[in-house]
Amino acid sequence: MKRYSIMALFGDFDEAFEAIADIRHAAVPGITTDDVTLKSPIEHPEIEEVLGERPVHIQKFTLGGALFGLIFGFFFLASAQATFLVQPQGGKPVIPLPSNFVLVYEMLIFFGVWVTFFSFLFLSGLFRKPHPLYSEKVSLDQIGVLLEVDEDKLQPLKDLFTKHKAVEIREGVLQQ
Amino acid sequence: MSIVNEKDINEQIAWAKINADVLSSMANPRKAYWISVAMCIAMVACAVAAEAYQYNEGMGYAGLNNPHMWDMYIASFVFWIGMSHSGTLLSAILHIIHADWRKPIYRFAEAMTTFSLMTAGFFPIIHLGRMWNMYWVLPYVSDRGHWPNFRSPLVWDAFAISTYLSASMLFLFVGMIPDLAICRDNAKGWQKKLYSVLSLGWTGTDRQWRNFRKTYLLMACFLIPLAVSVHSIVSSDFAMSIMPGWHITTFPPYFVAGALYSGCAAIITLFVLLRYYFRFEEYMTKAIMEKTCKLTFAIAMVWTYLNLVEFASIWYGHDMYSKELLIAKAVGPYAWVFWSMIFCGSILPFTLAFQKLRRSMPIMFVVSLFLNVGMFFERWMIVAPTLSMSHEPHQWGVLWGSIIEWAIVFGSFGWFGLLFLVFVKVFPSVSMYEVKEMVYHRRRHLVNDDAAEKFHRRASDSKTGTDEPGLEGA
Amino acid sequence: MSLENVLSNWSKYRRGAEEGGHHEYEHKWAMMINLDLCIGCNACSTACYAENNLAVVGKDRFSKGQAMHWMRIERYWDQADKEFPEQGASFLPMMCQQCNSATCEPVCPVAATYHTPDGLNAQVYNRCIGSRYCSNNCPFRVRYFNFYSYYESSWPEPLNMQLNPDLSVRDKGVMEKCTFCVQRIRVAKDKAKMENRKVGDDDFKPACVQGCPTSAMMFGDYLDEDSQVRKTWDQYQVKMGPYKQDKQEPELRGYRVFEGLNVDPSVLYLERVREEV
Repeated sequence: MKRYSIMALFGDFDEAFEAIADIRHAAVPGITTDDVTLKSPIEHPEIEEVLGERPVHIQKFTLGGALFGLIFGFFFLASAQATFLVQPQGGKPVIPLPSNFVLVYEMLIFFGVWVTFFSFLFLSGLFRKPHPLYSEKVSLDQIGVLLEVDEDKLQPLKDLFTKHKAVEIREGVLQQ
Repeated sequence: MSIVNEKDINEQIAWAKINADVLSSMANPRKAYWISVAMCIAMVACAVAAEAYQYNEGMGYAGLNNPHMWDMYIASFVFWIGMSHSGTLLSAILHIIHADWRKPIYRFAEAMTTFSLMTAGFFPIIHLGRMWNMYWVLPYVSDRGHWPNFRSPLVWDAFAISTYLSASMLFLFVGMIPDLAICRDNAKGWQKKLYSVLSLGWTGTDRQWRNFRKTYLLMACFLIPLAVSVHSIVSSDFAMSIMPGWHITTFPPYFVAGALYSGCAAIITLFVLLRYYFRFEEYMTKAIMEKTCKLTFAIAMVWTYLNLVEFASIWYGHDMYSKELLIAKAVGPYAWVFWSMIFCGSILPFTLAFQKLRRSMPIMFVVSLFLNVGMFFERWMIVAPTLSMSHEPHQWGVLWGSIIEWAIVFGSFGWFGLLFLVFVKVFPSVSMYEVKEMVYHRRRHLVNDDAAEKFHRRASDSKTGTDEPGLEGA
Repeated sequence: MSLENVLSNWSKYRRGAEEGGHHEYEHKWAMMINLDLCIGCNACSTACYAENNLAVVGKDRFSKGQAMHWMRIERYWDQADKEFPEQGASFLPMMCQQCNSATCEPVCPVAATYHTPDGLNAQVYNRCIGSRYCSNNCPFRVRYFNFYSYYESSWPEPLNMQLNPDLSVRDKGVMEKCTFCVQRIRVAKDKAKMENRKVGDDDFKPACVQGCPTSAMMFGDYLDEDSQVRKTWDQYQVKMGPYKQDKQEPELRGYRVFEGLNVDPSVLYLERVREEV
């Protein structure tokens, strides 16, 4: 059976919301909200009400990066100071805690920010070729609802989208 | 006097118009743009020539001498670092407290943050006697077992600036990705290629948005303490020393307040310029200007307060060196700079308290420039008087700097301007997707408010006589 | 491994000046200057110029404050009510005080200035990047910066022949200051080591002490109980150490400049005896 991808563009977020809600309530048998990808020009956190909770894991990496900065930072500085004993004393100990705290604080943030950035790059599905059905309208003012379905689900979905006043419905055959 | 109350933004504005307006600001530079670019390049050329001479001949041509080992270079460094702070304030703090009026103006403020840091970063390098060895400040593994001295506030500076510069660049870039995707969708030719690479394949899927929002929030949470720590560390350059007028406990908050102050003033300046030049009247509205002005006024008063605290604690303390220095600031050779600083920094901001003045763009433009002049003087008054009059009376002296020094300071403004001018033509200086969000949410609120009002009226109509008009559903 | 080093020596590396720091001093070079004997003749300064290859900067740069005199005579007139105020001039020879809690040391970003086991505040010219923070944090303002390539004009032929080969000529962009003639200390220590004895008072003198016509200055090892310097410090009841002096007889003339800043200088000054006193 051929697989198709179908994207409906909505002019109004509420219509898209209703359409997904219908999918959630099994308006088309065999299609669940897990198959739905929403494409929107702005963020719609409300969509999770119908799309279901989709987890974000970045904060765990951020915590890891920050902790790495903290622990590595301190021992890096302390080791450097302990091996470089000619360093100026000025009456101060070799490993002075107050100034090391300042630097460790900076290193915590440094690693935290960079790890956050890289985990964002890897976890958010960037660096992919644009979907063949991608419409530039999505970056302007329309909401796209994208699904990949079997041939027999195509028509019911189209009907559903038309019912919810989709502005445009695009479809294409998926390469197998 | 009637108080004008208007909306931050017209929420009925069409999204297509937002895209079109912002994208048109990036196309076809007008003549005035090229003139500004040429002027900035000329200013940078002055600085480059001066720096080349100084590099070859020695720091003496900057006019420096024995008590005045630092002068305008370090003052400018503090000035530019300070200016970078309010971009973070606007984008990170106001983001966290959900003040959505920041949305049309935060992008250029963040760009200002990055570019003023890129300007500030030059000064500690320029002021080094042997700048070809500047990398010795960084902690790298050397075959001779050398490390930098981690006790030195200058090393803290190197850590803090590199952290802040990379973090604020990432923050600016991440916040711009959805907009770069818009640019990609609308560009042709080489620009299409450029924006395709820069937008990293952003297509606005729900997964991307969810991760994006989290990343943005996390970065904002990192940037706030980072910004505070950066200027505290810059203040440590002074506060960690034992010199009168520098060794002051209130310096970190004082510097942070001063930083936010000069940054907000710079935001007002650029606000007026962009509004005028790009005809962004619909996004950079007077209502938003008023909010920015109120914020600036509040920070100006904090700065004034911290100034007074500093003076009072010196006056009532028993450190005779500091007290003598304070008196010398007020009546000595630097008195005109000192009193100009007080006037520009503490008196002039009262113009921001009057709505009539606040709503006039030319007046705000001039006032904001003078606020920043005051803040430049503030930094000068931190560096120079202490050097001119420290513990050892034999080594007292006043310094006004040489033409070389002033040329480099002058050129730094050109460098900042050049970076900013390039930015506004290559990147969207108003955040399109966030203005859309702002418009969207405000329109929703409007609808919901109407609905709530109707519901309320209906509820009270139907339940006349009962004490409580059940508000649970409202 | 370095991490092991950190953990096993933790308590040693956490010791500050109050507990004697992390290393023992071999020597503690110290000085005494009797201001009552100082006649302000600048011989010490001249000797220093000759010994340490100090650049002669010329009138213009001198008046701009860009001179390089490691040893300078400060003049103060504090008796303006006299018939001839010049009579009231007092002199203060000022050079690096080799502070034990030197404020210049912790602020140097590249550790170009540090404390040697001799108790000296050393300056490594090759390591200096010229941030000049040390000078800004020196309450005595005795650090001098090479604002220009002074060597190009300071010693025109054949004056370059008189340069001291024992130490370098500095180029632009580095900080320099009094070293207590570390090159002489080096020679004296080596000689004493070869002859298998302690360094004594007579082994060497810094150039300024040697040049002083009135013997107003004295130099030696403070840790050596028999040295003249130690005896003089004890006589005037001034102790080296970071905290407040505890003089039994406060009227004694010995003092250290800016004692209140707690930088613990190694130079003892004896106050001038005034006519009125």
